[in-house]
Amino acid sequence: MDKTLFIDPGRCIGCQACVAACRECDSHRGRTMIHLDYVDEGHSGAAMPTVCMHCEDPVAPCAQVCPADAIPVGSDGIVHTAAKERCIGCGNCVHACPFGVPKLDLAEMLQFKCDMCYDRTSRGQSTMCATVCPTSAIFYGSYEELLADRPHARAVDIFGFGDDTIQTGCAVVVPAGREGQPVPGGYA
Amino acid sequence: MSRREPKREDPSGFFDVDATASAAALVGAALLTAAIYLGSRGLRNFDAALIGYATATVFLAFGVIYRYVVWIQSPPTRRYLLQGWKAFLSWHNFRRFPTLVPKALISDLALQNFIRKRGVARWAAHQALFWGVIGATLITFPLTFGWIHFRSVPGTETGYQMFVFGLKTVTFDAFTWLGWLTFHGLDVTAVLVIGGCTYFLWRRFRNREAMTDQHLAHDLLPLVALVAISVTGLLLTFSSALLEGRYYDFLAIIHMAVVVLTLVFIPFGKFFHVIQRPASIGVQVYKQASIRERGPFRCKRCNAPFESPTYVEDLQQTMGELGLDYEGWIEHCPRCKRIERGIAYRTDVKEGFR
Repeated sequence: MDKTLFIDPGRCIGCQACVAACRECDSHRGRTMIHLDYVDEGHSGAAMPTVCMHCEDPVAPCAQVCPADAIPVGSDGIVHTAAKERCIGCGNCVHACPFGVPKLDLAEMLQFKCDMCYDRTSRGQSTMCATVCPTSAIFYGSYEELLADRPHARAVDIFGFGDDTIQTGCAVVVPAGREGQPVPGGYA
Repeated sequence: MSRREPKREDPSGFFDVDATASAAALVGAALLTAAIYLGSRGLRNFDAALIGYATATVFLAFGVIYRYVVWIQSPPTRRYLLQGWKAFLSWHNFRRFPTLVPKALISDLALQNFIRKRGVARWAAHQALFWGVIGATLITFPLTFGWIHFRSVPGTETGYQMFVFGLKTVTFDAFTWLGWLTFHGLDVTAVLVIGGCTYFLWRRFRNREAMTDQHLAHDLLPLVALVAISVTGLLLTFSSALLEGRYYDFLAIIHMAVVVLTLVFIPFGKFFHVIQRPASIGVQVYKQASIRERGPFRCKRCNAPFESPTYVEDLQQTMGELGLDYEGWIEHCPRCKRIERGIAYRTDVKEGFR
């Protein structure tokens, strides 16, 4: 991907503008696909925005565990929401995603997930969440554009989950000097 | 940012020829050919004018079986298919939860209530399309195979006898409601299909959600094909009823060409969901039965219930087979996974993140 999403949780102020903007997106009106979690709720304002990281290596885990071949992965690396006619609402993608991204509507028997605002980004526009983020905690652009904006920042697109690592299409911002290591996926 | 060599093999392999699937497809196509020969009593009842349809259906059987066998070989599909059938046929489940299977069949397969939750108009259109296609299939396939044929009753002008596999069944008058329905069944199904397709075509041009990721070949072409089949089919009736059979031969060839092209397209496109979808019934029964049997699995971090222990164990096995070596992660609910990643980020990556 030439342009992608760069997430910097350290900049997130938890304002929920991204959540509201995502809800307005044409492809899933009324539903928000971005997650905003308060990491230390009640004690600090630290917030964690989570978009789909569009895993590679070579195919996203959600697409691999789908028993209905319902999750299309484009040649541009975008991992799309499950095809409505195929998704059987089994939840495999929801639980196999190490980032906790896909959502499931059991009544409609459908999965939903962030598709990097495909209707916008495929036409060269920025994603809804990045457009409204007041602190640029969610940045849409090329790596060069990110570095021009933040000379002391670097980005990592490899995440560690136990002994396994996953390469992603989106990246997380890390301090300069930290770019050689995978970003930890948690302590599960 | 760094790029590294993929750790896992690409599982897609779209153009690889699968020997098992090829063998199964050949056997299936051969069995169907034999069934056509035997069912039409050595082709005595086979209508030669319909040979294009029958031949296309044999190709359809090959394509569908090939793709189905390839599909069920992937670890998640194989596991769900086995577990689904086991739950579906389980006497133990039937005794303990007698309504589970019938409810799933009626609600999910026949009434498709999950589509109604997406929108009443979509549901009504899909029901029209679904029952129209089912009806047309049930009428057309036995007719083109020579399994069903009609003969006029000797000594009458409008009496007909229906033969199934060469055995005489009902006798009816063409001008009764049964006669009308028998000879116009495909017209009724065509109207249902046109109604459903019209709504979906309108939606594909007006609804922004549908328009976002639609593709000409995947989403629009199937609808156009169904409309073309239905309209050319209705034109045959129009020709015989109002034009005294003029242009009938030409229309019959056009209709057959459209049907044949659509039939051979089925294994490759959106229509394949018709073959895949019934598998979802087994999956729903398996999930519900295992939750009722063993109770919910609880998140190891927040203790919130989600899914069943059987489901979690099966998914862990599937992930292991796919080389996804972080099976332990799925013992945490999605929200806890995200929060744990946030905690790890502020502990290990950016300590100042408060």
